[in-house]
Amino acid sequence: MKNYYAGLDGGSTYTKAALLHGNQVVDAMVTNTGIDNNTSAIELIEKMCQRRGIGRSEIKYIMATGYSRKVFEVADDDISEITAHAYGVRVTAPQEYRPGMIVDIGGQDSKIIYLDQNYAVKNFTMNDKCAAGTGKFMEVIAQILETTIDQVGPLSLESKAPCDINSTCVVFAQSEVISLVARKYDRRDILAGMHLSMAKRIIKMMKKSEKGGDILMTGGGALNIGVHKAFEEEMMRDVYVAKYPQFNGAIGAALIASERI
Amino acid sequence: MINKKLTPSEERQRQRFIEKSSRVSAKYLRRLTELKGAPDTLKPFIDVLENIYVNMDGPHFNTKKPLIGTYCVMVPQELIYAAGGQPIKLCSGSYTAFSIGDDLVPRDACPLIKAVMGYQTMCVMPIYDDCSMMIVPITCDCKKKMAGMLKDLVNTYSFHIPTSKEDDTDLDQIVNELYELIPALESVTGQSITHKSLSESLDQVGFAQYQMTRFNEFKKNQPALIKGTHAMAVMNASSYMPINDFSEKLYLLNQELAKRKKSKVFVSQKKEPRLMVTGSPIIFPNIKIPLLIEEMGGSLVADETCMGERSLYDPAVVVDQSFDGMMRALANRYTRPCTCPTFVNNDQRIFRIKQMIKDHQVEGVIYHVLRGCLVYDFEYQMLEEELGKLNVPIIRVESDYNEEDIEQLRIRIEAFIELIKLKDLQKK
Repeated sequence: MKNYYAGLDGGSTYTKAALLHGNQVVDAMVTNTGIDNNTSAIELIEKMCQRRGIGRSEIKYIMATGYSRKVFEVADDDISEITAHAYGVRVTAPQEYRPGMIVDIGGQDSKIIYLDQNYAVKNFTMNDKCAAGTGKFMEVIAQILETTIDQVGPLSLESKAPCDINSTCVVFAQSEVISLVARKYDRRDILAGMHLSMAKRIIKMMKKSEKGGDILMTGGGALNIGVHKAFEEEMMRDVYVAKYPQFNGAIGAALIASERI
Repeated sequence: MINKKLTPSEERQRQRFIEKSSRVSAKYLRRLTELKGAPDTLKPFIDVLENIYVNMDGPHFNTKKPLIGTYCVMVPQELIYAAGGQPIKLCSGSYTAFSIGDDLVPRDACPLIKAVMGYQTMCVMPIYDDCSMMIVPITCDCKKKMAGMLKDLVNTYSFHIPTSKEDDTDLDQIVNELYELIPALESVTGQSITHKSLSESLDQVGFAQYQMTRFNEFKKNQPALIKGTHAMAVMNASSYMPINDFSEKLYLLNQELAKRKKSKVFVSQKKEPRLMVTGSPIIFPNIKIPLLIEEMGGSLVADETCMGERSLYDPAVVVDQSFDGMMRALANRYTRPCTCPTFVNNDQRIFRIKQMIKDHQVEGVIYHVLRGCLVYDFEYQMLEEELGKLNVPIIRVESDYNEEDIEQLRIRIEAFIELIKLKDLQKK
């Protein structure tokens, strides 16, 4: 019998689960949040157990985080996503990363977390009233351009001359993209423009005073290589991407769970 | 006091406004009383708020004194009492009145002004409608333009405050302003301000200030003796109470807190992070932020806003017993220790906040910015820098008078409280 710890991250769009054993990520799974997030969470935990041949009783503690953290009945406790992400990067950050800033791009919000050298949260800023600069924005644009979210990044890298997208609101940006399509712009250039405008918007949230350390991207948005490159281009410095970026919150929650026993 | 006849649809709007406004206030009053640990002697203060905001009655006391509305803590209450008037603070935190005022002033004006204009035009609150005069200190842009708008509705007096508080010139300016206020007050009350009446009112307000100092001492206790949200309710109620009545009720509350201290009855656990609120004022019923802090496991132990203890904390020190001496003491008391960000140089606020952090053993600061309140927003960065040197975390929380952002505020406040708890663990 081994000791495992689970983290559940109930996001606005996807629910993520991660399983940890001694600071090692054993498994991670994602599902659509849907309308019954509690059942999806239970199923995720059970599926992971099955896949890894683990008894349910070997999971010693489940920590919930994210938008719907308060409703997961399987969870033993919950923690805010800020703390969860700050913890997660202890496991998911690449070796050379010096803790400084985390840029998390989620489905419906994006946040910037400032860390001290011991990975403790110093401060944070959030954008949660506006969908511009979030994963939802990417999904909407991908749909208009008849592609899928996983193709958006690679396609944009082929762009030679990115379009300008200036609207700061997702609804206006959407109509701007539609008019670019009508004017027969290459969709690769539109996508590249979209990534740059997203990066610009999020960079505006960053505090100029917090310059120390490196920048690490987490959240589903970091899976998009186009966004990653756009950040590097806009900030003119290295930007790291966490391992399993989409699961960073769940991994962080599981890591906190392991400290609870 | 409605001067014009309302059309049926205006009358229906007015009725809906009254119902909505009273329901929202009743809800927050309930959350206030449901918050555990309220002292028994808090009840008179809650009753005042209920009477004004839920029953929409006049001030909770029998007075034949003319009501004088004031719009800032920089208006000397002593002068109003000495002229035989009853001051009442009218800065508003009403969500319902805010939504009415939204149509009357520019979008980027602060919610406080919107709420005040909402109440003033709806004519539903006796505390606004029964005032014989409004005194508006000319401080920030919003207050200045509000004074201009109020003039068309009610008898409004613009009280000019110098923008600096550093030398004798500006002190002389404020002394002159105070002298000019005297005939304006006397013409409304029909009584003159004499040496005797002024020294009496100085004594009365002085006693309230003494009780306030005691109350503030109790707030320094660790663990806490009173919830910060309850303390805020006391300060909010003080806006609508005669000073003697307030002193008496606060004296009783202080007695109860002294008893709590002696018998070790606390309202917070040892490990609860001790937080302080500063920035734009928090006025009932807009108490979502203090409620969230204490519902999410923080302990609100200090309040540096102008609706907090600041309004009564510093006593007027009369050195020279002549009439002029008293006037100068008032000028001193109402501007020198005032930490309002409308002053050009306000370094002193930083000192005050640092002192409060030390005295109240504050572990984190929540900086409240009402959307549109530029002057407070300006001072955030300097404070963040200064507190960074002390390793005291601070977070800027922007909000206005609506309930739609409660969940967004909750996650920020929750994460901030976690941040302090984890910081604490690391130290150990």
